[in-house]
Amino acid sequence: MNAPAALLTVAGLVVRYGAIAAVKGVDIHVGDGEIVGIVGPNGAGKTSLVSAIAGIVTPADGTIIFAGRPLGRGALEDVVARGIALVPEGRHIFASLTVIENLMLGATIRRDTEALRQDIERYLAMFPILGQRRRQPAGQLSGGEQQQLAIARAMLSRPRLIMLDEPSLGLAPTVVDQVYALLNALREQGITILLVEQNAERVFGLSDRVYVMSGGEFGLSGSAAEIQNDPRFDAAYFGVHMQEAANPL
Amino acid sequence: MERFVQTLVDALSVGSLYALTALGIGLIFGVMRLINFAHGELITISAYTLLALFGLPIPVMLFGAIAVAIGLALLTERAAFRPLRNADPTTLLISSFAVSFFLQKTLILVVGSRLKGLDFLPELNRHADFLGIRLQILQIVTIAISAGLLAALTWFLKATRLGLHMRAAAEDFRMARVLGVRANSVIAMAFALSGILAAAVSCLIVVQTGTVQPRMGLQLVIIAFVGTVIGGLGSLSGAALGGFLVGAASILLQALLPPDLRAFREAFVFIAVALILLFRPQGLIPARGLKERI
Amino acid sequence: MPSRVGGNVSAMRNFERLWPLVALVVAVVLLVLIMSFAPAVLQRRATQGLINLIAVVGLYVFAGNSGLLSFGNVAFMAVGAYVSALLTMKAAAKSVFLPDLPAVIASAEWPTFAGALAGGIAAGLVALVVGWPLMRLSGVAASIATFAILVVAYVVFGNWTAVTGGQNSLMGLPAYVGLWTALGWAVAAIAIAFAYQETRSALLLRASREDEAAAQASGVNVVLHRLIAFVISAFLSGIAGVLLAHFLGIVRVENFYLDLTFLIVAMLIIGGRGSLTGAVAGAVVIAVLTELLRQSEIGFQVGKTVIAAPAGLGDVILALIMLLIILFRPDGIAGGREIRWPIAKR
Repeated sequence: MNAPAALLTVAGLVVRYGAIAAVKGVDIHVGDGEIVGIVGPNGAGKTSLVSAIAGIVTPADGTIIFAGRPLGRGALEDVVARGIALVPEGRHIFASLTVIENLMLGATIRRDTEALRQDIERYLAMFPILGQRRRQPAGQLSGGEQQQLAIARAMLSRPRLIMLDEPSLGLAPTVVDQVYALLNALREQGITILLVEQNAERVFGLSDRVYVMSGGEFGLSGSAAEIQNDPRFDAAYFGVHMQEAANPL
Repeated sequence: MERFVQTLVDALSVGSLYALTALGIGLIFGVMRLINFAHGELITISAYTLLALFGLPIPVMLFGAIAVAIGLALLTERAAFRPLRNADPTTLLISSFAVSFFLQKTLILVVGSRLKGLDFLPELNRHADFLGIRLQILQIVTIAISAGLLAALTWFLKATRLGLHMRAAAEDFRMARVLGVRANSVIAMAFALSGILAAAVSCLIVVQTGTVQPRMGLQLVIIAFVGTVIGGLGSLSGAALGGFLVGAASILLQALLPPDLRAFREAFVFIAVALILLFRPQGLIPARGLKERI
Repeated sequence: MPSRVGGNVSAMRNFERLWPLVALVVAVVLLVLIMSFAPAVLQRRATQGLINLIAVVGLYVFAGNSGLLSFGNVAFMAVGAYVSALLTMKAAAKSVFLPDLPAVIASAEWPTFAGALAGGIAAGLVALVVGWPLMRLSGVAASIATFAILVVAYVVFGNWTAVTGGQNSLMGLPAYVGLWTALGWAVAAIAIAFAYQETRSALLLRASREDEAAAQASGVNVVLHRLIAFVISAFLSGIAGVLLAHFLGIVRVENFYLDLTFLIVAMLIIGGRGSLTGAVAGAVVIAVLTELLRQSEIGFQVGKTVIAAPAGLGDVILALIMLLIILFRPDGIAGGREIRWPIAKR
């Protein structure tokens, strides 16, 4: 299989909160232009993994290489300038700021005002609801609209990699359809996507490759088609170690 | 009628001073969750700067007061508060209490604890006729400067890039940083702005009282603190409103209370505050994003 | 009831549980015993130190268990001081200083112990009334609001001239507080604080200190437990105020305002606000420190010259130490822990 050039390579990543290890040494690579999914139940360590890549938490061990250069120990504010945008769990839009202001914040690192203005208009056109409510406080948007806003905000920094943590959480199925259609459209534009979800079905439909995470470790990994049909998937998802699953009893 | 307007103007004037003070406190609480006791010392030391520069042209004196306030604010941020940036709110509170007393006691060590007279812009203390009513010029000036600073601050927050960053940081500091907003810039700006507000209050108080003494700032901020709590900790408009109400109420009570109760007006104001908090513990204009996400 | 089967073990465990109380009391008693051989001037300093210790322990009962700092405890000290003064002063003295007192109070000449208890209880009652709205506020807001207590007390006591003498000093109090009286009350305060912190209410309160939301979600009535701590804290602070008044023989409202607040808070922070050991340690350390600083302000004779520190340096140093502690060792000297039984478990 002709693997695309690796944009993001993580090796031996360990994340600890005090005495508890949330991520116990994982390796991951994301190729340029790929959509990679990480699925696993609540508490698997998915958010900690993404937070470490995004610079929110400092890993206890391991390396992160992005676009050929190491990442992971610098200031949090510098990560977005490297080309990584995060749509965090719960979206974290600024409820008291207007839609436009939220979008402007996505472009914090950009200095090209004219191109930025055009980008904003483009996204407001792409998401008509956002366009209509551009001057309203973002807190008045529905869950699905806020998700659109969060994604548009992330896209405004013109990232090479966009990471989404649980984008379908709390949204109605039809709304999730829209979100995933949007992610597909982003892929067409050449954006690399790292997607973290509890809902495995959705991820299989969208991703090229999938990692299954449980208890801070990866159980299975491979192409989406492989994992989807792998009989060991349930065990891996729910945290039974692979060796035990291969030798029941 | 004239008495009524005079009292009203007086209330507006004193309310404005407390609103400005509370705003300086609220700015920093918004971005850092720090209740800055040392804000009182910014006011006090700014006033002593006026004293030290007395005799020089007025613009130089004013510039000095503002520069010292901004410089001291940034210094305390860098030395005492930056290392504690992720500490819990009570630890932050204690540290600002310690910084405040350290600055105050050092000031007393250097200049002594007695109050000193300072004849700064005494012309403003005269009275003039405004629309047929005799008012003190200083009160009009106070209201005008306060309104101007409030407008300028609002413009800054709403219309500038850094202002937007500050508003975002006040609501969700970590998410703002994820988007690239620089923590250090936002916090430094908040401290610098609070320094400007402190200097303004300091100058106005010095003109009004004609004296400087080492406790002057602390007395102001204690009342302003209570104002921010009732206004709603974490929201700037709440801070300004709360500060204003506490200050204005004090003056109104002075006018309305019978003479033997007048000395207790601060007590009445605070009791009223306690009652309001009984029914509305989050304050009058609570801030968004202040509660921890479960 | 401890089981008979593990008799030795549980007796040991009870002893370990009580050890901090025993150790602290013994330490304080020993220190005072030593001081009792010192010149009278130093004994007076030691008495003052014991009074401060009671005040710090009082503040600790609330601040240590709830995690919230209170700036209003000095107000409770004032309540205790004025109430005890009014009840125990001789009627003749009262008619001189407070001619407008209501007759009931003007003629009261209570025994000093009863007056002291009344002072403490009065402070507790005030705390009960004002604590109710304040304890419902979220963490830091409650701390700031306690400033209001301090200001209201200052304003009321400072202006209610008929009852308190207003800005003037109230003089002629029976000055019955000496080294041993103070020691007795100090031991009682430590015991009360220790007994309280072993109660279920205190335990629940400390749990809420870590995570208020989780505690409330578990059904813990945080407001109630905070209020209980606040009232007990006020009682102890009231007692400290009583003792201060009857040690100095006068009550001045100025003595119960910002400077004393700073001193008490500094002692607690430096000693460590998370444990009773910290409160006591803070009081002792600051007492020693202020004595040294006082000496240095008087000056040392070197040959013909006297080298003396400028007046007010002591306060600066105290503030600096407090700042350094909060920056580099925020849990204070005791580090948030109680003094441990030094012999290792088998």
